Amino acid sequence: MSGRPVVTPVTAALFITVLLIAACGLVYELVAGALASYLLGDSVTQFSTVIGTYLFAMGIGSWLSRYIGKGLIARFVIIELLVGVIGGFSSTILFLAFSYTDAFRPLLYGLVLVIGILVGLEIPLLMRILRDRFDFKDVVANVLTFDYVGALGASLLFPLVLVPRLGLVRSALVFGVVNVLVALWSTRLFRESLPRRGWFIGVGIAALAALGVGLAGASRITALAEEGLYADPVILARDTKYQRVVVTSWKDDLRLHLNGHLQFSSRDEYRYHETLVHPGLAPLADAARAAGRTLRVLVLGGGDGLAVREVLRYPAVQSVTLVDLDAEVTSLFRSHPRLSTLNAHAFDDARVRVINADAFVWLDGAADRFDYVIVDFPDPSNFSVGKLYTTAFYRALARRVAEHGFVTVQATSPLFARSAYWTIVETMREAGWQVWPFHVYVPSFGEWGYVLAGHAPWTPPSEAAMPAGLRFLSARAVPALFDFPVDMGRVAAQANHLNDQVLVRTYEQEWARINR
Amino acid sequence: MVSRRAAIAAAVAVPAGVLLGAPALVGLLRKAPRRVTGGFVDDGSAVGHALRDGTRPAAPARRERVPIVILGGGVSGLGAAWALAREGLRDFVVLESAREAGGNARSGEMEGMRHPWGAHYLPVPDARNTLVRELCTDIGLLRDGVWDERALAFAPQERLFQHGTWHEGIEPSFALTRAERDELTRFDATMAEWRARDAFAVPSVECAARTAREWRALDRQTMGEWLTAQGYRTPALRWLVDYGVRDDYGASLETASAWAGVHYFAGRPAHDAGPLTWPEGNAWLIARLLERVGPRVRTNAPVWRVGREGARWTIDTADIRYEADAVIAAMPVHALARVLDGVSPAPVTLDRSPWLVANVLLDRWPEERGLPVAWDNVIYDSPSLGYVVATHQSLRTEQARSVWTWYHAPVERDAASARRWLRDLSWGEARDLVLNDLRRAHPDIDGCVARVDVLRYGHAMPRPTPGFLDATAALRAWQPGPRFALAHTDASGLSLFEEALERGVSAARQVREALRA
Repeated sequence: MSGRPVVTPVTAALFITVLLIAACGLVYELVAGALASYLLGDSVTQFSTVIGTYLFAMGIGSWLSRYIGKGLIARFVIIELLVGVIGGFSSTILFLAFSYTDAFRPLLYGLVLVIGILVGLEIPLLMRILRDRFDFKDVVANVLTFDYVGALGASLLFPLVLVPRLGLVRSALVFGVVNVLVALWSTRLFRESLPRRGWFIGVGIAALAALGVGLAGASRITALAEEGLYADPVILARDTKYQRVVVTSWKDDLRLHLNGHLQFSSRDEYRYHETLVHPGLAPLADAARAAGRTLRVLVLGGGDGLAVREVLRYPAVQSVTLVDLDAEVTSLFRSHPRLSTLNAHAFDDARVRVINADAFVWLDGAADRFDYVIVDFPDPSNFSVGKLYTTAFYRALARRVAEHGFVTVQATSPLFARSAYWTIVETMREAGWQVWPFHVYVPSFGEWGYVLAGHAPWTPPSEAAMPAGLRFLSARAVPALFDFPVDMGRVAAQANHLNDQVLVRTYEQEWARINR
Repeated sequence: MVSRRAAIAAAVAVPAGVLLGAPALVGLLRKAPRRVTGGFVDDGSAVGHALRDGTRPAAPARRERVPIVILGGGVSGLGAAWALAREGLRDFVVLESAREAGGNARSGEMEGMRHPWGAHYLPVPDARNTLVRELCTDIGLLRDGVWDERALAFAPQERLFQHGTWHEGIEPSFALTRAERDELTRFDATMAEWRARDAFAVPSVECAARTAREWRALDRQTMGEWLTAQGYRTPALRWLVDYGVRDDYGASLETASAWAGVHYFAGRPAHDAGPLTWPEGNAWLIARLLERVGPRVRTNAPVWRVGREGARWTIDTADIRYEADAVIAAMPVHALARVLDGVSPAPVTLDRSPWLVANVLLDRWPEERGLPVAWDNVIYDSPSLGYVVATHQSLRTEQARSVWTWYHAPVERDAASARRWLRDLSWGEARDLVLNDLRRAHPDIDGCVARVDVLRYGHAMPRPTPGFLDATAALRAWQPGPRFALAHTDASGLSLFEEALERGVSAARQVREALRA
């Protein structure tokens, strides 16, 4: 045991083993930290506690290694197999636990503790295995060197390749495979000194198979986890610059959620959109046709193209301009097969022009005038969106609407947020509009409110004025929309201004009462 | 033996390695720690300091005859010019030493986002303040009694960070004992009563002149002494009042005159729709004034001598000697003292408050606790005045980036040593001062900030210390020569837009009357 160590293929293989297991150990730790940050937020806390627990567990593992007396190689292989399977499935387990149980935190720290103990056992055992082949100083030097190199490799791979390319679920599974392969390779390296080798190989192959199944189904696992948050299977989930877009599907029902809020259900969205578009547009289109004129329509918000679909039913409509902030949403609804079927390929119509811009700023800078404007923004749930429901906004809007034109504004629920709804009505009135409030029942939303407004008198459309192909609205039903039952009737409200934003406060209070 | 040592070594080295590597690993997952750029912005003090140090350029070769010369292109100078222009006068010039007019209402721009460098709002003038309402009507802010909604500070307007979260409004009203709450109520009631009796108003000169002896006595003590004498001990209340006098005057409870301190609370309506504000602060108002008088304003024209020659005033800049019948001095008295030649000096000097202003470029927003980000954001018990969000008046619903304007009046030292401290401050120290302060309310601020630009004002504004009512009255009575009027807010002691405008307009009136005589 003296002199320079001879680097044989076996010793080289052993040091590569050190490198690989170091990388694996670190990846599990990073996966746990990143997953906790992603799901719970507050990354400083999550990483600190995960790293702390992990290191402490490694200490326990190192301490426990003293009680392993004989059968070092067999124990080492068992540990590798265990680390591979537990570590490999750690992110899968955590993802599902978050969606379906309340035990995420205990599971997180439990898993980190178990993996840490196993990883803590690896290096002391390997050092003891290697001590017969080298001087102690060389063992320490070489093992620790490769350990750190492996750690560096993993730490670079994780953010640069693993997370962006594979995602957290697959990354852990891939490194689980690496651990199991190390175990299988060890059975080959130490074939002389390993009893019951066949048994180990069998278990290793079974573990590989399990991890392989996990890898094949990884995307389904993530989807499954998100389904825990949404009632229906998720068919599309995407983070855009502005929001999280999730589309779910159950049989023929397609639902769009933005930041977790339901935007529409394909089962009844036609009720919402037909009511949004036609009471205001049908009379205009009828008059235009009679006079041989054409119409220019503006849609603010409504990047799903469903309101545009309704607008395009009128031959008199010469152009539709859609202004929506999020380019990824509009392109999704242009190109996704199921979503573009839903809006009848509205974005492929030559009359439609899509502009991705912040609506208020665009409106201020625009020079065009429109005959009809549809304002379909998210509800005024925060001060940012609240700006789009102020007298300042409705005054800017008035400058873009032709003298005889109308606008229709989506105005939250007059039943659930009664004061908020009438605040919007009052705001438009103060901004100089003549207003005609109306509402409809949409099963997936409940009672929903709109405000039709203009500077010229409005009369309900005749049967002949209504376009063909409507599934819900008829001319006969229109006047009834403008009748408010007692529990949704007008309440005194103050107009909403940029400098007070009374609407956001009212809206928040009213929905808080409902959602409690 | 060997194996045990190896095991121990491994047991120590592996976790130690991971531990040492961990911060780097965490760093890789998060945005890399960023380098904050920035620097000092030119404060224009070089010209003034050269004069102080005795530098005198050669007499200018050219002569120009102008009936009225206005010294200084800040709000009072431009206000005087506006008043003259409204009377149809064209034969006057405004001489401004800096590259741009504006004075304390100057502004800047960071990556396309405009921001203030000083004064950043105008309280909505109440019905008594006819002059400011006239200006607002002239520039289109007030139409048929309705304020331009886009110029009123958007909601939420003010918030206070206290006990780990943001609350709406800046009056501390959270977690107080009954006794403390009662004291705040008593203070509010007193201020409301004095407000109702019209004891304090803007502009202050008229109201101080007609104000009763009872209230003039307030000017013989500091705000802190008055509070103590009235039994106001609640820390939250004393903090609020201290914040007020720091905010408006760059003074503290220990230095501000009680008259000025009370004026801050009782001089304006308690609840209004305002204030009026713009991304670039009061530079917006300056731009409107310049639309009316811009051609008469000469920038980069520091005045270095003002004297008399026969019946006329002579005003020397680097290249032109102006010969004027009348002079409106819209520059601070301490600077005026350096340039007046052969005439009686000002009877009093005023303490002047130094200020530090930083503009902070954020390329993402920090996490928030409590009320979302407001226009004015104040941190309780901080030595700073908090920050104003320059992008708050944007109509956008989504803003990826922002500029925050952070204000600090160093009141913990006397004015002279605070000036020395400011002069010796390095940019790195100033940046740390800003970021350490913001970190009190935003632990993750370091990951958000890309740039910190800093402006140091050695003599930002007059400090209304006890006795300032008499001192400023003496300044207003001062006549170093015929057809001379002091327009600067030094003549009122309160450095506010309304005061500056009123001083400017009244100086213009004074000079016009003298010229007619």
